[in-house]
Amino acid sequence: VVIGGGLAGAGLARDLALRGASVMLLEKLDWGAGASGASSGLLPGTPRQLEIDPESARAALQDADDIMRIGGHLVHRCVFLVPVLAGDGTGYERMSSALETYDRVQPRKAARPHMYLAAGEARRLEPGLPADVSAAFLWEEWSIDPHRLVWANVLDAVRSGARAVNHSRVEALLRDRGAVIGLRYRAPDGHRTEVRARVVVNATGAWAAESAALAEVDVGLRPFRCAQVVYDRRISNFAISTEAVDGRHLALVPQTGHTFLGSTEEDHYGDLDALGVRPEEVDYLVQGVDRAFPGIRRHRPLWAVAAVWATLSARSDARHGVGIVDHAARDGVEGLFTVVGGQFATYRRTAEAAANTVCARLGLHARCATAARLLPGASGAAPPIHELVAEHGISSLAAEGLLARHGSETPAVLQDARRGRLACRCQALTEAELAWAVGSEQVRTLGDAFRRVGLAGGPCAGGSCVERAAEVLGHELGWSPSQRREAARDYVIEAWRNRSPVLDRWGWAQEELAYGTRRGWPGWL
Amino acid sequence: VTGLWRRLRRARSPNGVGPSPPASADEVEITYFEDRLSPLTASERAQMPAISRCINCGLCALVARRLGGVRPPDLAAAYLRDVRRMPAARADLSWIDPGSAALAAAAAACPVGVPLEECVAMMRRWAAAP
Repeated sequence: VVIGGGLAGAGLARDLALRGASVMLLEKLDWGAGASGASSGLLPGTPRQLEIDPESARAALQDADDIMRIGGHLVHRCVFLVPVLAGDGTGYERMSSALETYDRVQPRKAARPHMYLAAGEARRLEPGLPADVSAAFLWEEWSIDPHRLVWANVLDAVRSGARAVNHSRVEALLRDRGAVIGLRYRAPDGHRTEVRARVVVNATGAWAAESAALAEVDVGLRPFRCAQVVYDRRISNFAISTEAVDGRHLALVPQTGHTFLGSTEEDHYGDLDALGVRPEEVDYLVQGVDRAFPGIRRHRPLWAVAAVWATLSARSDARHGVGIVDHAARDGVEGLFTVVGGQFATYRRTAEAAANTVCARLGLHARCATAARLLPGASGAAPPIHELVAEHGISSLAAEGLLARHGSETPAVLQDARRGRLACRCQALTEAELAWAVGSEQVRTLGDAFRRVGLAGGPCAGGSCVERAAEVLGHELGWSPSQRREAARDYVIEAWRNRSPVLDRWGWAQEELAYGTRRGWPGWL
Repeated sequence: VTGLWRRLRRARSPNGVGPSPPASADEVEITYFEDRLSPLTASERAQMPAISRCINCGLCALVARRLGGVRPPDLAAAYLRDVRRMPAARADLSWIDPGSAALAAAAAACPVGVPLEECVAMMRRWAAAP
């Protein structure tokens, strides 16, 4: 049994299932609802990382290449532009030599060598740069939709024989003479189930100490907190990397339909389940990027998100931030492992290393297949946009979104011909896809639908779509009218936590409008 | 081709070593042609913050239900969130008349001043890209 439905847990469950192990994956919230989903989705081994930790940077580059091959439909090229500004710690010479070194490893992930631009040319390409820019460097990374990557791993694990259950909290680890022999979890309907397992893997990220404590084992963690601001559209041509006032590297990364500004990074103390972004974190990020992209303050942020990840606090336990702890050897508790600290870009390698350890304990002699087997949607040719438009009567924009999320499996999503109508107009999300996500992708709440298919991720922030989406989910899940209203209300309250730190005057006007339209609802707020 | 050109240029430097010569904006545009990283024009960039004010309230749709095949709020709230999508969405946009009275009426109805006429001009320019 693997506990934790982030990228680490999902990747490990997929790896073990492909090796023929009998696997169960449990997640207390939704797939990718923690730190994995809050990632900007970059698959880097950046020049800076190459300077600080060459070995893990090279591993990240190699794994990025593997991820691009197995999940090609989810991956997009992300071209970075780094302006050289007066007062930067990273000057022309340092940047130039770092990128010369980086060029030697870039071919591992099919990226081109860097380019150097004079000031005028840089401003021609990115007119949002400040007038005092003296030069700029340009290099390539790859980015991926983090929520879809997590789900693709879960789905492939399920297709390989694993059982995956979300919204199910582990309440206890079952013990026999000190050894962990299984666990008890609580399903969303309140039903409690006991599962026996030869091995339990704790892959719960920052919650690993909490989970290990169920077996009376202490896992010393150092949790880090990251915050990001998300804008409603692509606001720059290139991803822009710059230094904040304290020298920290910040990045403005445009993804399809959004721009991510991040991130802060500091030690986290306090409740892991009550993360909110502080206004000063938003101010820090906006101020930090303002000197490289002065127009940033005129754009409208949609929400801000905070996430916590962790490394093992004892250096002896962790190598390059990744720790695979065998509690039998360390604490005398048989049957329990803890995996902590993998990077987003190296999740597949981390999962492979953890699966090797688990398989050695299980006596399973099978080789890792995760680098060779394609993720769902990546095998076979995807239909062209015009064919989907002609056949299903959907807009080109909706077809493009479907292909980006489902790849070659898109036609199966559109089987229900009656549902070409859009459920979420900003995201061009069809009712067919939303219904598919409920039936085939374990969507149980509107928040799940946001993670799986991007519901309410656009400029209206759910103001014009949550009610209709609740109707679609309610129809599929058999909700009563009051349950549908409650689902919409729960989503708005959940989203408010991330919206409130970034609201400007337009955002407040939007919230007032949304509140006004719902004021007549019984029991609303 | 670009990589080969850069290597040739570097080979012509006195020692065959040292920093690469600066690339031109045209070279970058050619290199990333398939990624559609062409820059917005100055006027398009100036319009972006105003376009970003759209909250999909739907008031424009009350005065002009459809512009060609597109609902007016979708211009700023969906299509213009990434101009690089425009060539793929060409079919959706081909029936919009940039000079129509309906478009002007929809723009006049917008409570936050989203420049819908400029939106259409921008979308048509990007949709026409090869």
